[in-house]
Amino acid sequence: MALGACQLEEGAVVGLPRALLFYELYPFWKALFEKLGLRIAVSGPTSRDVIEAGIREAADEACLPVKAFYGHVMALRGKVDTVFLPRLVSLKGGTYTCPKLLGLPDMIRHNVGRLPRVIIAEVDETKPGKGLMAAGLSLARRLGRAPGRARAASAAALEALGVFRAGIWSGRPFEEAAGWLGPRDSGVGSGGEGAAGRDGSHIEPREVARAAEPVRVGLVGHAYNLFDPGVNLDLPRKLARLGCGMVTSEALTEKQVEAESSTRPKEIFWSSGRRVLAAATHFRRGKEVDGIIHVVSFGCGPDSMIGEIAERETRRTSDLPYMLLTIDEHTAEAGLVTRLEAFVDMLERRRARGLGPAGSGREGAAGPAMTAAVDRGENSA
Amino acid sequence: MRVTFPHMGNLWIVVKTVLEDLGLDVVVPPRPSRQSLEAGVRHAPEFACFPLKLNIGDFVGALAKGAEAIVMAGGIGPCRFGHYAQVEAQVLHDLGHDVEMVVLEPPRGHAGEFWAKVRYLTGGKPLRRVIGALRFGWEKLKALDDLDRALVAVRPIELARGAAATAHRRAVALLDAAADRAGVRRRLSEGLEAIGGAAAETEHGPEGWPVLEVGVVGEIFMILEPFANQEIERRLGELGVHVRRALYLSDWVRTHLLPAATQPARRRRAKAVREAARPYLSHFVGGEGLESVGEAILCDLGGCDGVVQVAPFTCMPEIVAASLLPEVGRDLGLPVLSLFLDEHTGEAGLQTRLEAFVDLLRRRRAARRTPAARVCGTSAGRRRGRLRQWLCGAST
Repeated sequence: MALGACQLEEGAVVGLPRALLFYELYPFWKALFEKLGLRIAVSGPTSRDVIEAGIREAADEACLPVKAFYGHVMALRGKVDTVFLPRLVSLKGGTYTCPKLLGLPDMIRHNVGRLPRVIIAEVDETKPGKGLMAAGLSLARRLGRAPGRARAASAAALEALGVFRAGIWSGRPFEEAAGWLGPRDSGVGSGGEGAAGRDGSHIEPREVARAAEPVRVGLVGHAYNLFDPGVNLDLPRKLARLGCGMVTSEALTEKQVEAESSTRPKEIFWSSGRRVLAAATHFRRGKEVDGIIHVVSFGCGPDSMIGEIAERETRRTSDLPYMLLTIDEHTAEAGLVTRLEAFVDMLERRRARGLGPAGSGREGAAGPAMTAAVDRGENSA
Repeated sequence: MRVTFPHMGNLWIVVKTVLEDLGLDVVVPPRPSRQSLEAGVRHAPEFACFPLKLNIGDFVGALAKGAEAIVMAGGIGPCRFGHYAQVEAQVLHDLGHDVEMVVLEPPRGHAGEFWAKVRYLTGGKPLRRVIGALRFGWEKLKALDDLDRALVAVRPIELARGAAATAHRRAVALLDAAADRAGVRRRLSEGLEAIGGAAAETEHGPEGWPVLEVGVVGEIFMILEPFANQEIERRLGELGVHVRRALYLSDWVRTHLLPAATQPARRRRAKAVREAARPYLSHFVGGEGLESVGEAILCDLGGCDGVVQVAPFTCMPEIVAASLLPEVGRDLGLPVLSLFLDEHTGEAGLQTRLEAFVDLLRRRRAARRTPAARVCGTSAGRRRGRLRQWLCGAST
């Protein structure tokens, strides 16, 4: 469809579905629209209702995050003047997002009924002059804003994105990095009980004797799987309750990702997959985590390949525990908790046997250098 | 160096011809079967798409026959196929096969990369020899596709069940053995005659039903590999359907590999597909996603009674297409059946779905005398009229 004019008055409300690459680009769109004189409304947290609404309209074969996106768009209906559907082809030269994201605006327009008018922006960094900045300028022009204001807004949006990324790369959680000041469920059309996981159940903090230093898990996966508690069944909080420290693949700087990726004979052409694989390599080499959990959506194409490469490389070159956690709308909370507990138990036992990450110099990890030696000795035995 | 490659329909005859013509020692993997699929499923990633599992099965079979290197195609995304070679190399490595993979793909740096690989593979044969071998393979490919077209046309009206397929099988074997381009052409015309000889003097299919026209769209591997699509063309043909395959390998080569300037008809067709899809899908989505939508609409304009989409389970581009095809079907009054297939697909279930679909198409055909009359004055008819009007400018 042509990216036609879409005049909107000052103060009109633009709805942003809180799903998929919202978790990578929200500050950019927020700054852009606000500088262009529009108000934004973010859909509520992913709840059971949101997911079930999405399942009704999306193709059966679509993955959970896409179904959640459908649900978020549906939650915005009737509450906003327009829904924003970015077509995110590529966020970095030489890479793509995912075919489903390329077709997403078309899928939404044809599958979701009673849709308010939509604004579409196309971001394709593989083509010169089609990147984020250009998308901002084109959006401003189609909204009928003056060129000067368009440039200022786009520049401010890029700056906001830079600040956000710096925050994420320094390991801050999404809400904090995005400057999310209000309570987490401040969005519109929030259905259900909020961010406490789909079933609202919790794990009680365990009272077990643990090493002085908590085990650390490297959590790798798409940003929308790591940061959306409604999709990942509140996984990070569950891990925290189990007494785990965490570092995510999102916390790697672009430079680190580049350094780990450029040594591959063929670079991965999915931006997120490239990051996940780089993070797995980085965690393995840096010996800063006790184990890796790769969170994937059932049916995710890129992850079916990336997960396999990461797992095989990890097994071949280290004895770092690696768990592939596949999540979809049928995943039961209890089963997930059992798997997490078993995994964390194993990490703690390894820690106790002196098989934790070596060279970290943390207190509690007895004789890091020696641990490394034992580690390798066991491997080759 | 003994080289092998994965199966995809009749592709093996073409690749074998080209590589042998260049003097390579070629190991053709055993045809995909339950056994090779089992090996593939055992060793390939659980959630990889179906073609990758069959590839692994092919390679395991070929390595057992003594292959030392694999020629594989690659890609630059966003479809998963572009990373097949990397994952497959890892799987084979962990199985203890340190096999060399020569991946032919669009170069990222400069075109020299590609030719360097070709030179390496052929042991430095001059370009003229390479082009000669490719032309010979191309001749065979075109002939094989012509035989396939004849087979699907004759099958619904064959004299005795399986007669057309028998003639086709014999013709393919003869074509495989053809030693030069003149031989290919001679054996093609003989083969076409033999397949045509299996046709009855009637325009009606089994039990006197009129022959239905059904378009088959979808992902290239699933369309071309009969083992992967559970011989959907045979199943439909035996139900009295003339299958119009949206994608033949020779067409794909014309669109993607041959110089665009030499293929004006293919270019027009590709443009018509894009334009037909545009109201529904206005951006490429990798693989054949856009083509599946566009070709389904062109099938309708071409008078098809219905469309079947075949794709591997979890195929990303085809999921986009499958999300939009119901809308296309509603707008145009075109029945569409989307089939996502993998190793778990049961034969009986598939057969039942196809029979039910064909049944539906027959009833529709009976209710409306001619396909053209069925939508007069409806909004679908007007929409189709506008589309046809536009396409008249774009395609012949």
